[in-house]
Amino acid sequence: MLANEAIARAVVESDVKVAAFYPGSPTSEILDTVSMFSGEFKDLTMEVSANEKVAFETAVGASLAGVRSFTSMKSVGLNVASDAFFSVGYTGVRGGMVLLVADDPHAHSSQSEQDGRFYAYPAHVPMLEPSTAQEAYEMTKWGFELSEKYSTLVLVRTTTRVNHQSAIVSVGEIKRSPFHRASWKDVGAHYYTLAATARRLKGEALERLSHIREEFEQSAFNIIEAGEGEVGIITSGVSYLYVREALETMDSRPHVLKLATTHPLPSDLIGTFLKDKRRIVIVEELMPYLEREIRSIAHERRIDVEIRGKLSGDFPLVGEYNVPIVRAGIASSLDIASADSYADVMSRAESLKEGLPVRSPIFCPGCPHRGTFWAVQQALKETPYVLNNDIGCYSMFLLEPYEVTDSLLCMGASLGLSSGMQHVLNDKVVAFVGDSTFFHAAIPGLLSAVHNNHDLTLVILNNSVTAMTGQQPNPGSDFGAAPVTKLDIPSVVKGLGVPHVAEVSAFEPKDNVETFKEALSYRGVSVVISHGPCALYNDRLKRHAGTPIVPNEVSHDTCQNIYACIRGVHCPAIELDTATGKSTIRSELCNGCMVCAKMCPVSAIYSTRGDDT
Amino acid sequence: MNGRYNMVLSGVGGQGLMLLSNVIGTACAQEGLPVITGEQHGLSQRSGSISVHLRMGEGTYGPLVPPGDADVMIAMEATEALRYIEFLRDDGYIIMNTRLMHHPLETMRHVREDAATEPYFSLDEVRKRVRSVTPNVLEVDALHLAEAAGNARAENVVLLGAACGLPGFPLKKETVKDVIGGVVPEKTIDANMKAFDAGDGACCDAFG
Repeated sequence: MLANEAIARAVVESDVKVAAFYPGSPTSEILDTVSMFSGEFKDLTMEVSANEKVAFETAVGASLAGVRSFTSMKSVGLNVASDAFFSVGYTGVRGGMVLLVADDPHAHSSQSEQDGRFYAYPAHVPMLEPSTAQEAYEMTKWGFELSEKYSTLVLVRTTTRVNHQSAIVSVGEIKRSPFHRASWKDVGAHYYTLAATARRLKGEALERLSHIREEFEQSAFNIIEAGEGEVGIITSGVSYLYVREALETMDSRPHVLKLATTHPLPSDLIGTFLKDKRRIVIVEELMPYLEREIRSIAHERRIDVEIRGKLSGDFPLVGEYNVPIVRAGIASSLDIASADSYADVMSRAESLKEGLPVRSPIFCPGCPHRGTFWAVQQALKETPYVLNNDIGCYSMFLLEPYEVTDSLLCMGASLGLSSGMQHVLNDKVVAFVGDSTFFHAAIPGLLSAVHNNHDLTLVILNNSVTAMTGQQPNPGSDFGAAPVTKLDIPSVVKGLGVPHVAEVSAFEPKDNVETFKEALSYRGVSVVISHGPCALYNDRLKRHAGTPIVPNEVSHDTCQNIYACIRGVHCPAIELDTATGKSTIRSELCNGCMVCAKMCPVSAIYSTRGDDT
Repeated sequence: MNGRYNMVLSGVGGQGLMLLSNVIGTACAQEGLPVITGEQHGLSQRSGSISVHLRMGEGTYGPLVPPGDADVMIAMEATEALRYIEFLRDDGYIIMNTRLMHHPLETMRHVREDAATEPYFSLDEVRKRVRSVTPNVLEVDALHLAEAAGNARAENVVLLGAACGLPGFPLKKETVKDVIGGVVPEKTIDANMKAFDAGDGACCDAFG
């Protein structure tokens, strides 16, 4: 099973009663799997919250009320939840609670290569780091035990290559206890941090951590693999796997210390490992977190050992590791001249791939964003503008062939940035957010713009799900793990006092140009909500319901090689018939959204349904 | 089996690569063969290029196949065989779908350069280049075989059937077929079994 599924399994085996999430790659499959389990076990409440802060607080609330709880989020999700996270570091928890945070080295699907390990130290929260799917399962379970034993939140930290590993995992039995409502007076405690209380709680948190460190010194998850000589490697997480594999092809056999408890570090264990070594190589992704800590442990204990890693320039600071990088880094750290055995393979491949067309991610056939953006661009044709984009599938407007995005920082930032820019620029200021991002973090920005009489236009691309992460529900969706209330975005926007609100159907690009023009020329805050379901989600619903997906066709008799269906549409289902130079539609990819048909000035594209064109 | 067996699966987001890797992984579990995979999720799924690394055999190692170490590559789309060619070992096997999916950027370039009748990057070109790394290339018209088997969506199963026919492939065909039977919709089981056999047959004709 996928490590994310193994983590979800651990959550269910640990008798967690409340789990709340906001999806984010590479953690989304944890949410999906817990959601599936919650259908099976009625004593498990699972919900999707508006954002990570709310999800975290929901889990904390359940824990304070006495049950086990869980949440997981991507690296930058913890930034959103961090306000509450730091306070919970002080208050501690009651029912066992685990927070899983997944970093994304290489920024595969994130805006930064954030290193979440640095959160544990200032928040006084213990941290565990698995390498494999099996360990992810076991450490999540252990996390709940630790959490309850020390009344502390426990952070399990992973990286993309751990979450998206799939392997055979041996799991335990699922034994669920019956759920009973509790009474707050039975809790007999208060959870707040202020002034004198904060100072007292900080002392207690530090005291707690010193006991946890003692336990970590003995943990069987920290492993020493004996080698030969006076050289040692210290590593953790997925890097450990790369180390093992790299060493297979190298002549030296250094000792290896694999750390699983990375805050607080087992400093006695590390000190003992350092003591009889001449040189230590630290293998870790992202920032030199272990390297700095271990340098300081060596310094405190006056151990004379040379420490090599990122700070010494032997390993890269940017990007994720793999076996070739780790092999080269170890060789460099040990001053071994290493012929890069991968260089030949890589350079041959590079020359073989010359002229190979790129295949970057692009909007799916039937995606509503395609038509929305076309209309916005037409409406802005004569107007200098700045486009502040946001996080979601529509982030892809920054990629080829569009390359229309002037800024993109983080969830909901398009609103705040637009507010700042409209104070300074002559240009029309436009912001894009999706429905999920709107609920997540854009609402405060919008109401602030209304309150301060700003001049900007917000386009809300409402596809009714959180599409990018795998079509999970958001507050605007009509489904969830349990019954939900669907929020109506136009009502929310109007309720915030936005003076100019319009709605369009995403699949009517030409008709919408005028509506967008009106909104864009409005002086003040204007919002256009473009409705159209996510094609991936909607096609799946149709397949389940047995509703046919009817593709379009191009009549080559009518087609005049104008290519309006290609320019500005960029649909994966449309390609050229190079024999005739005419457009052609791949029926197995087309979902019949009709946007291309509406673009064609000679009406050469028709639905194979036969009742409309 | 002795040692490690490495596979790279490649294709275009939406082609059913994850199902393929799940089936192989489950079949490994049923045969008690250790397996680890490295998958791509998220942004890369949106009609972009995707790959899955699959590693079978005893030992502790990571989810990614090092360059030059894959014993076999299954490419669900022909140009995607070339895109990940650095992973294949010399003389490794390629099971290559002959299907080409032209990316909108490539189409757009043709239109922009007034070259609508000029050929796309061709199967011939892919064939010539991958064959410089290995002679062991099996080209499969998977869509045609899947349609003939009764389910156009079973292209991935055709290719998996072909992989299972390779000499030295570590899984039993029966195990893989059982797993497929358990994950596909019931009414398509028959078509999927036929699709598997068609791929297997094509492979045995070539390498058997």
